[in-house]
Amino acid sequence: MNAADAGAGAEFSPQAGRARAGTFFTSGPGRALARNWAACFLVVLLVVFSLTGTNFLSVVNFQNVVHLQTLPLLLAAAQTFVIITGGIDLSIGFVAGLASVVAAKLMQLPLSAGWPVGEVIVFGAAGALLLSLVPGLVNGLVITRFKVPPFIATLGMWGIANGVALKLCQGFPVAGLPDALPRIGNGYLLYVLPGSFVSFFDKPAGFPDARVRELWRLVPFSLPFILVVLGVLAFVLRRGRFGRHTYAIGGSMDAAVRAGIDVDRHLVRIYVLSSALAGLAGVFNVFQTGIGNYTTFSSMYELFAIAAVVIGGASLSGGKGRIQGSVVGVLVLAFMENGLAISGVEPFYRYIAVGVLLVIAVVIDKLFPDLF
Amino acid sequence: MDTLPDPETPSPLDRAHGLGSLGSRLRALLGGRWILAFLVLETLYFCFTAQGFANPSSAQMLLFYGVEVFLLAVAELFVIITGGIDLSVGYVLGFASIIATKVIDGLANAGAPPLAAVLIGAAATLLVGVLPGLVNGWLVAYLGVPPFIATFSMLGVCHGISELVIRGIYAMGLPALAADLGSGHLLYIAPGGVISFFVRPEVERGVAVVELVPLVVVLAAVVIGILAFVLARTRFGRHVYAIGGNRDAAIRAGIPVKRRLLEVYALSSVLASLAGLVYALKYVSGKADAGASNLLDAIAAVMIGGASMFGGSGTVGRTMVGCLVIAVLDLGLRMSGTPTFDKYILVGAILVCAVVVERYVEVDGK
Repeated sequence: MNAADAGAGAEFSPQAGRARAGTFFTSGPGRALARNWAACFLVVLLVVFSLTGTNFLSVVNFQNVVHLQTLPLLLAAAQTFVIITGGIDLSIGFVAGLASVVAAKLMQLPLSAGWPVGEVIVFGAAGALLLSLVPGLVNGLVITRFKVPPFIATLGMWGIANGVALKLCQGFPVAGLPDALPRIGNGYLLYVLPGSFVSFFDKPAGFPDARVRELWRLVPFSLPFILVVLGVLAFVLRRGRFGRHTYAIGGSMDAAVRAGIDVDRHLVRIYVLSSALAGLAGVFNVFQTGIGNYTTFSSMYELFAIAAVVIGGASLSGGKGRIQGSVVGVLVLAFMENGLAISGVEPFYRYIAVGVLLVIAVVIDKLFPDLF
Repeated sequence: MDTLPDPETPSPLDRAHGLGSLGSRLRALLGGRWILAFLVLETLYFCFTAQGFANPSSAQMLLFYGVEVFLLAVAELFVIITGGIDLSVGYVLGFASIIATKVIDGLANAGAPPLAAVLIGAAATLLVGVLPGLVNGWLVAYLGVPPFIATFSMLGVCHGISELVIRGIYAMGLPALAADLGSGHLLYIAPGGVISFFVRPEVERGVAVVELVPLVVVLAAVVIGILAFVLARTRFGRHVYAIGGNRDAAIRAGIPVKRRLLEVYALSSVLASLAGLVYALKYVSGKADAGASNLLDAIAAVMIGGASMFGGSGTVGRTMVGCLVIAVLDLGLRMSGTPTFDKYILVGAILVCAVVVERYVEVDGK
């Protein structure tokens, strides 16, 4: 892949890019605009949809979008690390499904054995997270020890994780889990009845169901959760040695080796991290839906994660990318879908829009190679 | 398990454990043909374990059900030899199946004779089917967009347009002739030795007619045969290898690299459309995600057939062996009553193992 990418991009030298771009994009506000085009596009999307869709611009809608994007955000963060090293991880979507099914299966047994609900949930979640390290470890070892291209190694794991998940659940979602799961996963920090009361973590006891629509539910639990995870990952990538090595490997593998970085070891860690984040996404999915879901072929989580990362300014040839960028990428895709739906446009346009956006992202990247 | 590379396949451990001479003798014997040996062993395994597998009709069946993957794999092969990848073939297949169904159905309803409707519909499908490839090729060759991104975008665009055309359901309503072509056979042998070509003889209910050589398999065999020739013997084929082997050298050798890339992506898209046409005729319907799950099989078949992800190598013959490895596995598992979920695991494992083994065969064979 990388060889092909580098070859395909050969005709765009920085000089040519600068000549094409003129001076507007090389200095001052123009540069900032081109550099953050995805963020600008996101703002434009928000403004346009606020005008065209009723109730698009509302706390409830924004909370819903962010809450539903927790899984894509985790996968995009995972993919960001891998893509910065110049690799690719196609297996994350099905690893998430596998973790979701495993967590649910692990909870079923002790639940029927009469364990307390809290322990059951912790046991299932921890077990699934631990197991989700395995696909990444295998990917990393196959890639570094046997020099299998990441595309192939993770495509193999794509099939294996999918098959194992389907085998475990026999093609049906795993139900019969503790009721507490979706209550935690879809809970809010604050419940406010305007002019009456503020309650933390749960509806006040005895609140009548008939009036539940008057209640303001603010800050879904998933929001602090995803902010903390993304914050830690962004910090690790920008400030720590781990992050420096990640960029170094993506920038030039040879240079990284000569600089004394244990490239193989680092790559294994990257793929394990990617897989672990996918596992976290899968476990979160159990909390969100209350059942264990295998990943369907048509969900294409891994491809949308790659799309988000590329729209966020990363390059498939490695060395470039930021967690913040990928978050913007996910939000662009998410608000596009949400906004189109709210504005009454058929959802199928979304697929087309994703394709067009992706190409724009890459062409901008090619035209202004010295921007990032 | 039968899926891991068989113990005779050379591995780095051979040398480490002092089995070097045996390993290298086997390597010399099998060389690049190890995957063929694997296919034979795999087939034998299922002949013994899967009830009814050892039967000529199962060979015919796996060819009939595998036609789309065979065509997609050849499409993918050309692109992979140039060092690229085409993720859009699966959804181009679905898109084409819808176009074929809609056009043939529309013409038949407008009063065209069925044969004319099918032929015009087929031509229209292939004509429309070249468009995604032209866009892919233009993006990759002239704009420098990485093939992964360009073709993934096209995947989304094809998916979106397909769903818009059919409004999220199936396209259907093909004339009976389409089904006759799609599931027809070249030869029919009725009891008593009466042989008839193309047309199924009239027999009483319950009397078995031997059906030989499905028409869609003939079609695919002819197309794939021609492409094998094109790749191995023509200037176009040489250029394709040259571009994948070393792009700079290809440019310096005066090969019109951008044009060839455009043609390769267009070819890939036309082949995927042909597969879509075959799908429409076989299943008498069209749907957007008809080929969604075939993408892995197609890429895996090319890689199992020994092509390199970085371009410059791979042949049609070996890709067909790769296809057969997957097709035999699929049918064998079905006939032994294993849930189809196992197939995904095994294809994934074989894919990775094949690439690993291929490395060692290559390193030691040369």
